[in-house]
Amino acid sequence: MSLSRIWKVLRKDLALGPRSPIFLWAIVLPVALTVILQVAFGSLFDPEPRLGIVDEGDSAITAGVEDMEGIELTMLDDEAELKRQVEANDLDAGLILPEGFDEAVKGGEKPVLQFFIGGESYASNRIILTVTTLDLVRELEGSEAPVMVDIVDFGEAGLPISIRLIPVIVFYALVIAGLFVPGSNIVEEKEQGTLTAILVTPVKSAEVLAAKWLFGVILASVMGVASLAMNGAMGSNWAEVVLVVVIAAMLSAMLGVVVGVFAKDSAMMFGIVKGAGIFLFAPAVFYIFPDWPQWIAKLFPLYWIIEPIWQVSVMGESVTTVWSELAVALGITAALGVLAWWLAKRMQAQMAGQ
Amino acid sequence: MTEVTTGSGAAIQVEGLRYSYGDLEAVKGIDFEVQPGQILGFLGPNGAGKSTTIKMLTGQLTPKAGVARVLGIDVATDNPELQARIGVCFEEKNLYINMSARENLEFFASLYGIKDADAEGVLRRVGLADRAKDRVKTFSKGMRQRMMISRAFINKPDVLFLDEPTDGLDPVTSAAIRRTIREEAERGAAVLLTTHDMFEADELSDRVAFINEGEIVALDSAENLKLKYGTRSVKVRLRDGDGVREEILPLDGDGSSSRLAELAASPDLMTIHTEEATLEQIFIQLTGRGLEG
Ligand SMILES: Nc1ncnc2c1ncn2[C@@H]1O[C@H](COP(=O)(O)OP(=O)(O)O)[C@@H](O)[C@H]1O
Ligand SMILES: [Mg+2]
Repeated sequence: MSLSRIWKVLRKDLALGPRSPIFLWAIVLPVALTVILQVAFGSLFDPEPRLGIVDEGDSAITAGVEDMEGIELTMLDDEAELKRQVEANDLDAGLILPEGFDEAVKGGEKPVLQFFIGGESYASNRIILTVTTLDLVRELEGSEAPVMVDIVDFGEAGLPISIRLIPVIVFYALVIAGLFVPGSNIVEEKEQGTLTAILVTPVKSAEVLAAKWLFGVILASVMGVASLAMNGAMGSNWAEVVLVVVIAAMLSAMLGVVVGVFAKDSAMMFGIVKGAGIFLFAPAVFYIFPDWPQWIAKLFPLYWIIEPIWQVSVMGESVTTVWSELAVALGITAALGVLAWWLAKRMQAQMAGQ
Repeated sequence: MTEVTTGSGAAIQVEGLRYSYGDLEAVKGIDFEVQPGQILGFLGPNGAGKSTTIKMLTGQLTPKAGVARVLGIDVATDNPELQARIGVCFEEKNLYINMSARENLEFFASLYGIKDADAEGVLRRVGLADRAKDRVKTFSKGMRQRMMISRAFINKPDVLFLDEPTDGLDPVTSAAIRRTIREEAERGAAVLLTTHDMFEADELSDRVAFINEGEIVALDSAENLKLKYGTRSVKVRLRDGDGVREEILPLDGDGSSSRLAELAASPDLMTIHTEEATLEQIFIQLTGRGLEG
């Protein structure tokens, strides 16, 4: 094995990468998935609840809202303007605090509180604003609450769906960049005959495969880390996150090399990936449905790379808690490496026979 | 002693070389040598076994029997030192179409460990210098073929394997490619060239091997082959009323000379040409089949 020859092939692939549609797809897909999933379920693009207040006195409620994070407060002078903005959905809700409101509450007069809610506002924002306001009113009152707000969580307990979808996004980042890019790259070099041209030079087939593998490892690592970062899952121990992602990229890229060496042409390559798709994807699904028996996930090879990423990035665990998973992942990678090397030996004769 | 001592230091030495695809025997035990600076033309129809021979000699296929040495090294051993010193022009075009002409050559040069490859110079030789920066995708068939040839030259190889380098090209491009091949031989490279074009074999080769159904049926210089197997003849054209009449007289045949003298004296005589046998005629004579198809 000559490192210099491996580097020359790798450098060519890195330079040529941006000219390949699959390479571009590998970069765009995780970004697009993040955007889609975050818009559908997540918080990334949720606007903060917007509350407008017309404060005719000098209410402590206004000060309370100002102190609160996560609420966008707009102070207005008159009621008509407030109503207009709520109606136009420039504000989610509006509140009118007449002069002497605080005193009236404290005096137990139960004054009327006018609270306008925009018809187009998000339900979640309405609830936040209503509950917050009522909370603040109750604080004014002191021990005697004028209303009791009992917040009941509906829906599944545990992590929000936007977090549980992170393994899906990371899966795509790893599989497209790590498996598809080097796999289709090898198949393309076979189809175009350029692999044959390389192999009559001093370059050996093992060197070509090593270059393709490194190509996948680099791209999948970058895309894996990027998609975790986009989803705010890098945590504080980013060096450990990078480590588990790189190990995951190593397995995924080796799978890509095996498929690429095995497949005769791109039709066969796509067929294999399509057929194996569910088998590969399955472990990511178990994070979406935590009620399923989780041990089943361990039967699938990519569990051993997704679980460490989940634990170390999303859950913020130390890398030492997943060393056994990482060891299994490295073992699978090594076994696939042997398989790739064995398949490569028949690849050359297969190509000359084409 | 397994070492074949030819005393001549042949660049390519082949003995009893065989290959079969399953039950199909594609190459049935062939022997030949090529000296440095020499061009050997492999002339034969499609399916004769030319490409299979080149694939064995360049390490793409492992011979089933026999020995082939290139630069003294057995081709069955996967040897980077040998691969560094050969140049191959494949029958199928296999360039990186998304890279420029220059990038293609520089990449392959780098695989040979050549640092400051003269891509520009090589492209100039095949008339592509002004297209160096363009992607091969945008090239015509002839330009791609010239790229294939220039890539085979990039490492200044000692042995060149050229599989049908001018197949399907226009005469101008073919002539340009032939000129560069001759230059490589003059530089000292041993050249093994396959073709099913008898003119190319005739014009370019120092020696021609006739290959048919996996066997070499004759191997000699074109001139010797013609002397040995061809019948020379004279074509006489005579005026015949309003038209023209042709008469062909074998030079080596009985009674030809008296008939020739007779015609030469005729007032209707227009032209007399000596006619040489073509390589194809000899090929047909030896194998019972032509070079096309
Ligand atoms: N990959 C292959 N599988 C089976 N038969 C093949 C293969 N390649 C070539 N052949 C057969 O081997 C014989 C020689 O082919 P080839 O060496 O390509 O001839 P040429 O280059 O002279 O046209 C032909 O009969 C051809 O059909
Ligand atoms: Mg051929």
